Amino acid sequence: MRVPATFLWPNRVDEVRANALFQRLRPSWLLFLQLLALLLTVCAFAKPQTRQQGLAGEATVIVIDASASMSAVDVRPSRFEEARKLARETIQSAHPTDRIALIEAGPSPRVVFPLGNDPARQLFALDQLKPTDAEADTGEALRLASALVGSIDGARIVLLSDGDFDPVQNFSRGKAALVFRRIGDMDDNVSISALGLADSATGRQLYAGLRNQSSKPMEATLTLYADGKPLDSIRSGAIAPHGQFGHTVQAPSGAKVFEAKIDAPDLLKSDNYAVCLADSGASLRVLLVSHGNPFLERALALDPRVTLDRATEVPAEERGSGGGKYDLVVFDGIDEIPVKARGVLTFGNAGDSSPVTDAGQASAGTFVSAEPKALMKGVDFRGVYIEKQHRVTPKGTGEVMAQTSTGPLVVASQTPDRRQIYVAFDPLQSDFPLQVGFPIFVANALDFLGGSQSSDTLAVRAGVPFMVPSTQPGTLISPDGTKIDLKPTGSTIVIREAKKVGTYKLQIGSKTKTIFAYLRSERESNITPNAEVTLGGGQVKATISPLRFADFWRPLALLGLLVLAGEWWLFARKS
Amino acid sequence: MILDPREFRLLDGLRLNPRKAFSGRVRGERLTRKKGISIEFADYREYSDGDDLRHLDWNVLARLDTPVMRTYQDEEDLAVHLLLDTSPSMDFGEPSKREQANRIATALGYVALAGGDAVLPRAMGPREPDVRVLRGRAGFPRLAKWSQTVRPLERHREDLSTSIRCFVRAQVRTGLVCLISDGLDPEFPAALRTLAGRGHELWFIQVLSPIELDPDLEGDLRLIDGESGAAVEVTANSYVLKEYRHRLAEHNKALVETVRRVGGRYVLVKADDPLDGFVKTTLKREGWVA
Repeated sequence: MRVPATFLWPNRVDEVRANALFQRLRPSWLLFLQLLALLLTVCAFAKPQTRQQGLAGEATVIVIDASASMSAVDVRPSRFEEARKLARETIQSAHPTDRIALIEAGPSPRVVFPLGNDPARQLFALDQLKPTDAEADTGEALRLASALVGSIDGARIVLLSDGDFDPVQNFSRGKAALVFRRIGDMDDNVSISALGLADSATGRQLYAGLRNQSSKPMEATLTLYADGKPLDSIRSGAIAPHGQFGHTVQAPSGAKVFEAKIDAPDLLKSDNYAVCLADSGASLRVLLVSHGNPFLERALALDPRVTLDRATEVPAEERGSGGGKYDLVVFDGIDEIPVKARGVLTFGNAGDSSPVTDAGQASAGTFVSAEPKALMKGVDFRGVYIEKQHRVTPKGTGEVMAQTSTGPLVVASQTPDRRQIYVAFDPLQSDFPLQVGFPIFVANALDFLGGSQSSDTLAVRAGVPFMVPSTQPGTLISPDGTKIDLKPTGSTIVIREAKKVGTYKLQIGSKTKTIFAYLRSERESNITPNAEVTLGGGQVKATISPLRFADFWRPLALLGLLVLAGEWWLFARKS
Repeated sequence: MILDPREFRLLDGLRLNPRKAFSGRVRGERLTRKKGISIEFADYREYSDGDDLRHLDWNVLARLDTPVMRTYQDEEDLAVHLLLDTSPSMDFGEPSKREQANRIATALGYVALAGGDAVLPRAMGPREPDVRVLRGRAGFPRLAKWSQTVRPLERHREDLSTSIRCFVRAQVRTGLVCLISDGLDPEFPAALRTLAGRGHELWFIQVLSPIELDPDLEGDLRLIDGESGAAVEVTANSYVLKEYRHRLAEHNKALVETVRRVGGRYVLVKADDPLDGFVKTTLKREGWVA
């Protein structure tokens, strides 16, 4: 460094003074800046955190309730749109390093966006969500969320819901925090709680029931239709809070489709419609007598006509003969006994009322043949492994439908009052439930036992998957005119898209089926927002604006870098 | 222009006021030690721009319509030696000391010329003056040009005290020596004594940069002398800076003492001080001018 004259400067460097062990600290800006930079760096390494308000954490799964109750309009435009808005704000206000996943808690929960930090795509995925008129499987959605972030420290599961769902069992949030944001604040709703036909001495009666779900008296106008034509209309008058109103009319003979609509100043419209079909095969009340067979339960539940009850033994009032509560009884590995139902499906142990005589169990032989009957359509026993088979002999009207080298495998019996099917093995002692033919066989059995072929008219609960036997692709036309192409799986088409209440058309080849989707759910119709929900055995209270811990080390590290740069600049300038 | 019009107005009417009286070579406007009648008329000479109108012969002007000046035999001119330090150290600082030194030299030269004195501008080092003797206001343009272009000749680059001694040996006419320099030479006080010993009256205007007076350095530094190239290694800290300031104060104190002892005048001017302050505070208030 050049100076005008050097004779004024002492020719001295600090090393001379460094000989002293202790010295007075000499003030120096450079030293101060270096210490400040060191302090900031140490603080940054300590990873300090600040408390901030916001739904998002470092790893967040936003679970959006898409159940029917979320269509209530007490929050404008609807609870679902409010949830969407909250999710959008959360995504937009998230830090660049925050990862967010989106899960739609509908009838079949699904991950609409995996854990990531791409706000544009997350917002696009969010905009694609649609509310349903179905019951949501919130528990499964939360379990899915826990699987995504349950092992991440500081993760957060945010549930945007009105809290109208059953207590969720078998749920563990792991390391993630659970935030429940309640949406909705009113409960004004009147729903159609019942619609059915009953034979009486004066003929067929149509019964409609309304329920006031709210905490204040409400009234509604009930209108009944038969095959689309108005049948009756009546004002309910003021229905007491949580009270009911019933109305019965004579159902015209020959009418097949009965609908009920109510006009009420309530907040949820999807439960203001119900439908019931007059066809005897259109709805089946089935009792499954079993020690537990999920494959069989699922195959039965897939049929839109079936209303399934489960038991480990036949109730006393259903035993014997005469008119019973159930249309069909399924014996799964349990000894068959006489029942009042008009149809019986028996797997394994035959009884006195069975269409076979059981001579004990034996090793299953090789498959021999199957009759080309409707019951065996689409069912192939050739590749099925069966560990033990009952050696049986048909009796009465029993007719062998399929046979192995050991003996009859499937026997069907048909009388004017009763239809029976006997299967000579326990499904859980074979791999038949894992075969494509198993649900087809169950569907065929229901057709046979129900006494009708597949109906051209179906009434299903919105959002509940059901199947229609077909080997051809089909097209589902939604109530709003949207067309959805469906491809068959094996010999059936599984339909999951009927999530909104209304009338659908299913076109398969030249045939058209009419499908009525309705919401008849006490859980969804009770739209009272819950401030507490039960998740995994514990109560979770609704949170308005949760706090989060946000890392603060980045600004500190940046500040330390700036101080260091300033110190360098000062040193360079002075040098 | 090195001086602005406002500064010219400030300088108009001032005359250098040396403590000593010197014998002149031409008739001028200063009293000498020679006996006589100070107001005795001697001769006429032609009027030149900038001459003092008090000595204009108004009667001649009225009759002949020609301006002539009356001169008196016992009034002689004053030799004003403008010694301007042009060493490399004068380029230090922002603004540089050289700019301030040039302005002060120009201002003093203007006052001297306006007062009818003989001005001998000289860059420190060369044995001969850079320009010939300047007289009267007509000489100011040449003075201004000199101050703006003056640079030491390469062959005459030498330290400050050597330059002064060269000037002393040059046997120049005795008079007022206005030395404008930073004075940063350990031998400078001795050189000043030598200079005063030749009978000159010494006016020393020391120009220093603010950063020289209060340096802002830190860290381990290798300082190189801008003139000699000598290097000094220091750890710039508060102790070293304190010692530097002490040494500078001691050096300046020696300069002041030397100038006082030889009957001269001294002033310290910062490189960024306005010229107004120098004129009002130093020249007028301390009686450097009359």
